Amino acid sequence: MIKVTTAPFLDETTRAALASGRAEPALGLFLDVLMEMRGISEAEGEAIAGLALEAEAPAVMKPDALAMAFAAIERGAQRKPAHGAMTHPELAGLPAALRDVIVAAEASGSWSYAGPGIKRLHLGLPGAAKAEIIRLEAGTAVPWHTHKGQELTLCIHGEFSDGLDTYGPGDFSAFDGKVRHQPRAHDTGTAYALAVTDAGLRFEGLLGALQKLFGQ
Amino acid sequence: MASGNTPKPPGEMLGEAERRRFADLLGMVATHQDRDAYSQLFAYYAPRVKSYLMRLGADGALAEEIAQDVMVTVWRKAALFDRKQASVSTWIFRVARNRRIDVFRRAKRPDLDPEETMILPAGVEAPDARLEAMQTETRVRAAMVDLPEEQVKLLKLAFYEGLSHSEIAGKLDLPLGTVKSRIRLAFSKMKARLDDD
Repeated sequence: MIKVTTAPFLDETTRAALASGRAEPALGLFLDVLMEMRGISEAEGEAIAGLALEAEAPAVMKPDALAMAFAAIERGAQRKPAHGAMTHPELAGLPAALRDVIVAAEASGSWSYAGPGIKRLHLGLPGAAKAEIIRLEAGTAVPWHTHKGQELTLCIHGEFSDGLDTYGPGDFSAFDGKVRHQPRAHDTGTAYALAVTDAGLRFEGLLGALQKLFGQ
Repeated sequence: MASGNTPKPPGEMLGEAERRRFADLLGMVATHQDRDAYSQLFAYYAPRVKSYLMRLGADGALAEEIAQDVMVTVWRKAALFDRKQASVSTWIFRVARNRRIDVFRRAKRPDLDPEETMILPAGVEAPDARLEAMQTETRVRAAMVDLPEEQVKLLKLAFYEGLSHSEIAGKLDLPLGTVKSRIRLAFSKMKARLDDD
């Protein structure tokens, strides 16, 4: 079956379905005629969007935006991830469930610069809550985003402290939006955390259960 | 007519000379890692990419961060830019859109309405398709200049902001049927201008 989408850009599944449809000449003809009559090609749609972008009213960037971009460029030039392997081999020992998600996220996106010595990887999970991996180089402190909702932070590698406590692999913290905490990686090495923010969902029940299971 | 948060008035499209200059600059980034050329591209596109992301609902801080990522990607992938195939604006739009999809990955859109106007991929490219790609850019530019403002707006909502027909109806506070017929009209006018060059 061929799926037809109204979305101006196509997700991979739809793209694949349409491409396989084209392998069948009759369907290919059907698609060509349909496009001729009803549609605008993807290239035309992108050209329209390109025009809209270039005519966009510019937003104000931070004064050091360009300097930060150059810093990220230089940082990125130093690393050469092996194809198909994890960007950071020290994460290879993680539980498979998380490792798979990280590998998938690295395949579709990349670690992004989040300040000096800090990188993050959005895990791209569906749903409203957001999950990401934060990587802190030894001695680096996060000017942690002030999240509106609650935040669960699980240490998955290395050690960090947040002024209130110290966390090693398997330790986690749960904060509501009010408390500020600033995790700092220990000088001994790079630390990684899995951070989940609730984006307006309520984790209360979950937090209570976690507290019972793991709390002091 | 549009109610609610009307977007800021857009700026101007670039002239032919400016577009050529930006393509030259991106070429210099690719071949010489030219930081000055990159700085000029950054100055023009980073604030606009940020606007694009804010238009799609990102707050200022997130939009800034993603715009940064997009521009870093522009540096890294500059060698993939082919001025025969796309304008710099279109190319950077693609980078920004893909980055946005990564960041705001959503569950699949639920109900696809087969009545809506559809966008289809070109499939396997014909040998001459590459040569024609830049002509497509040029013709789309010419067609957009000709279209009435109302129709340009609809095309931008569909292609630039990535909205479905019902989302456009909600945004413009119009009945869905009206939006569908107007979009169909905009598409057919666009098509007519694209075809008769």
